Amino acid sequence: MYDLPHARSDVINSDCKISARNVQLYYGDNHAIKDVTANIADKTVTAFIGPSGCGKSTFLRCINRMNDTIDNARMEGTILLDGEDIYDSKVDPVQLRARVGMVFQKPNPFPKSIYDNVAYGPKIHGMVRNRSELDELVERALRRGAIWDELKDRLDEPGTGLSGGQQQRLCIARAIATEPEVLLMDEPCSALDPIATAQIEELIDELRQNYSVVIVTHSMQQAARVSQKTAFFHLGNLVEYADTGQIFTNPQDPRTESYITGRIG
Amino acid sequence: MTDANFTDKDIPNPRSLTKTERRTKRRKAAEKRFRAYGLTAILAGLTFLVILVYSIILNGLPAFQRTVVSIEFTLSAEQFKEAEAALLKTRVYSNYFITSFTDTVNGLGLSSEISSDSIDRIVGKIGGTLRKFYRNNQDKVGQPITFDLPASSLVERYFKETFSRESISESNRFIRAEDLDLVDALADAGIIRQEFNWLFITGVDTGVDNPGGAGIGAAVLGSFMMMTVVLILSLPVGVAASIYLEEFAPKNWFTDFIEINISNLAAVPSIVFGILGLAVFIQFMHFPQSAPLVGGMVLTLMTLPTIIISTRASLKAVPPSIRDAALAVGASKMQAVFHHVLPLAMPGILTGTIIGLAQALGETAPLLLIGMVGFVARYPETILGGFEGPNSALPAQIFNWASRSDAVFVEKAWGGIIILLIFLLSMNIVAVLLRRRFERRW
Repeated sequence: MYDLPHARSDVINSDCKISARNVQLYYGDNHAIKDVTANIADKTVTAFIGPSGCGKSTFLRCINRMNDTIDNARMEGTILLDGEDIYDSKVDPVQLRARVGMVFQKPNPFPKSIYDNVAYGPKIHGMVRNRSELDELVERALRRGAIWDELKDRLDEPGTGLSGGQQQRLCIARAIATEPEVLLMDEPCSALDPIATAQIEELIDELRQNYSVVIVTHSMQQAARVSQKTAFFHLGNLVEYADTGQIFTNPQDPRTESYITGRIG
Repeated sequence: MTDANFTDKDIPNPRSLTKTERRTKRRKAAEKRFRAYGLTAILAGLTFLVILVYSIILNGLPAFQRTVVSIEFTLSAEQFKEAEAALLKTRVYSNYFITSFTDTVNGLGLSSEISSDSIDRIVGKIGGTLRKFYRNNQDKVGQPITFDLPASSLVERYFKETFSRESISESNRFIRAEDLDLVDALADAGIIRQEFNWLFITGVDTGVDNPGGAGIGAAVLGSFMMMTVVLILSLPVGVAASIYLEEFAPKNWFTDFIEINISNLAAVPSIVFGILGLAVFIQFMHFPQSAPLVGGMVLTLMTLPTIIISTRASLKAVPPSIRDAALAVGASKMQAVFHHVLPLAMPGILTGTIIGLAQALGETAPLLLIGMVGFVARYPETILGGFEGPNSALPAQIFNWASRSDAVFVEKAWGGIIILLIFLLSMNIVAVLLRRRFERRW
């Protein structure tokens, strides 16, 4: 199928979208991620949980190479997306990020109109040929972001003028407008109230039909509600990675148990 | 302890909220003192500003007014021929004028004794002006023409009340008491009048014999040309350098070194840039002296650090989340910078640029060194030629006038300061407007 010098045949199966192998990440001398190996399944919500500073966000940012923008970050190991090494020297991070979208902790719409926010990605990737196609694509993305009904009459208004929950759904719509295969979400609900959080969680569940969703969260209840797989990180190590039900009901590692019962973290 | 202890009114509560503690009192007093210091400082600053503006306006406004002697004069064709054939041509023109002027004055029922010296003292040497006019406009020969002649320096000052009759001594060659009698009579008859001095705004520098005719127009044009050069050179170079340093360059000892140097360059005295310009642009590269092109290049060197520092500051002020957002949807580094970061940084960049330009506009010292302080009595003939031909600049012209002996020139220097301040003020207003226009929330 592919010429894959790094890939091991056992990790490539139809279910596995992303495969991380012995990932190490250093910020200068600080060893932030220690030898993480994990497979992330397609059309599944995978939650990363763990105490602050445990490396879960950092690991998430490795998956679309956002750590490249940090000067003293150094990464070792391999991460395969559909069997291709995303850290290969021939890989352009721009192309990678078109396939691996990301939503951030703080809603960060561009200070442009709602329409332009969503249209920006498709435009720079040349996904549309004319205005009407772009209009359709923007509508589709906003519908999938569950925000079309609220915003369809206000597409010219600045995206920064929306409420926090609307901004975050706009950012999700923006991320899925480029039709990625993987959606990374870095604590997408931490700045939102419970109602907006519920809307986003519902949205995440719908997105699972088409995407592989990876979500970093501080809320264990959220992880339990939205994810099928959960990974527990502690001090840069991937401590335990299993089905969500198993992690929360029958954790194998004592550290996981301590964390989910509230004794550490 | 029972509740009764707390409700007993006879026992004073040691921590009553209505009783001010000593510490609180001291803290309040300190705050009050600090406010007083601040207010005093601001009032002192305002006072000096008012004094400054008042003295500039008081001294500078007279420059915008001039005293003209307006006289109707007709030169017949025979007179023109005769004058052109004579040996001392301007002398002949002058005589015709005096004859005609005497008739006019007599017609008004005024004193009939008008000497040519007196005329000279009131309106300066008239013959040359007349000859120049009629040689250039031969069709006007034989028609009555009204000449608006600038009054001489002392007559001008007499009307502006900076020169009084009492200060005339017997030995004064420039004015006599009887001249002032004539001047008063002419003013009553409406022949000598005050008008707005357009010539000051549109005119060029003049020699010491005609201070009333001196204008700042050529210097304004020279400054404008220099600012054009500065803008064209420093904005693209400065913005490109800052974007590279801020967004693309690796952080290592070399970029640190560059950064320190840029900060230091911003503090280098402008005269050093002047010497540099003289040595490099004129002596080594053989660019023309006194040219707005070279002046602009020297001022560019001076403005660049200002622009780079302010551009970098405004790029830094753009939240990193915007960069992340752009990168995460798959924009390249350059697209992220040009589509998102730069538009957000634009108000800061423009403000910095305009403030840098304003600084350059008022800079005098480097211009002295590259020879832009010479006597420039004409406009450049072509626009492009103006960049490499000798020209003056506003602050240099002001400096030049202020160092001349005639009081009218000093007054013009004040007037020039008003023009310079108007330019600076309007540039700052443009900066504020641009910032408003481009300012966006995120």
